[in-house]
Amino acid sequence: MIYLDSGATSFRKPPQVSRAVARAMERCASPGRGGYRPAMEAAEEVYRCREEAAALFGCLPEQVALTTSCTHGLNIAIRSLVKPGDRVVISGFEHNAVTRPLHALGARVTVAGRRLFDWEDTLSQFRRALEGKPKAAIFTHVSNVFGYILPVEELAGLCRERGIPFIVDAAQSAGTLPVSLSGWGADFVAMPGHKGLLGPQGTGILLCGSKPEPLLYGGTGSASREQEMPQELPDRLEAGTLNVPGYAGLTQGLRYVRRVGTERLFAREHRQTERCAIGLKRLGLRVFSGAHQAGTVSFLGRSDCEDTAAALANLGVAVRAGLHCAPLAHESAGTLDTGTVRVSFGFDAEDAQTDAFLQIMGKL
Amino acid sequence: MKNIYFVTFRSVTFAQRGERVLRSSGIHCTLQRTPRWMEEQGCGYALRLRTNQITDAVEALRREKLPIRRVYQQYSSGDLEEVKL
Repeated sequence: MIYLDSGATSFRKPPQVSRAVARAMERCASPGRGGYRPAMEAAEEVYRCREEAAALFGCLPEQVALTTSCTHGLNIAIRSLVKPGDRVVISGFEHNAVTRPLHALGARVTVAGRRLFDWEDTLSQFRRALEGKPKAAIFTHVSNVFGYILPVEELAGLCRERGIPFIVDAAQSAGTLPVSLSGWGADFVAMPGHKGLLGPQGTGILLCGSKPEPLLYGGTGSASREQEMPQELPDRLEAGTLNVPGYAGLTQGLRYVRRVGTERLFAREHRQTERCAIGLKRLGLRVFSGAHQAGTVSFLGRSDCEDTAAALANLGVAVRAGLHCAPLAHESAGTLDTGTVRVSFGFDAEDAQTDAFLQIMGKL
Repeated sequence: MKNIYFVTFRSVTFAQRGERVLRSSGIHCTLQRTPRWMEEQGCGYALRLRTNQITDAVEALRREKLPIRRVYQQYSSGDLEEVKL
């Protein structure tokens, strides 16, 4: 199979990831609950994951809250900063993981910056929208539909200068672009474990620069007589038994990313993005590409996007079609009614794979 | 002969970071559950240290902003007493 859906999940992982999952299942009990060996091994596995993430993302291990997904982390972050009726500024490329929690809260949302690959527009629109002192700003680092890399450092600077709390959705950037909680001065940065960090599905990370409100309440293995959730991180956010095998796998994914380096991983994906965009344009298709693009390309095929994806699937190519859970991004790009076909590259991207895909596309 | 101390924490994560901090300072310690009577809020983890430099150890932990609950010394009789540092 030609797998070009790494924006959804990194399907092939370094082999040490699944080995770590299996090992943890054989050796680990509940972390932070007992003093016997399998419980302490579980606690050690979980802590190693926090350590690796802290080293990669510029924070302390206890600021790494382990979640089940990026969406889970975003829900915690949003509910910590935004109350019903609050005004919030978001980019024009946000995922439903941001817009739906805001909708559920009844937040008043201002969308800023809707032009693809245009940093000037994104920054000027944010500058204007932040003038009214919103309660919070939320922006994705990379659009999951178009691969547009937003000027996140500059956006963070705008928020910091104005004292506006902000959340970064690093779903598509963690593992391939520099992400730093302390460097950005962010209140929260959310990310999945199963995409660029190469961990198993069902894992995620929320980096906490501010005190969050719990989304789940329950046992944490600490301060058990108190009925309030602990004030300390990460316990405050981690009620219930953690997915130890998942985080053991994620630790190995994080180690791989740290060893190879985000710069190299990005370069590998970006090379294929450019190769793919050029190839698709040569076929006469409408391709969304430009400056500041990560490892994702969207395009419009000759037929409906779902039909194109289905035809590709029959020929052994995995891509994703439709709205990609990001109708706002499609609205910004003018593709809400058509959707797009999305090609997204992963850590194992290579020329042969891209060329084989382009060859198949040429025959459709 | 070195003394035995227990440094208690509310959260296993803080105790684990404390373990790393002390080890990197050359102070041997082991991570264990906090005995129930040491933690009135119920459930916690402690570092068991064998050292004559408990002040240095606690300072190293505080430098790293680790929220220590309490410090206990264990005497050769087995009795434990809270130490204020």
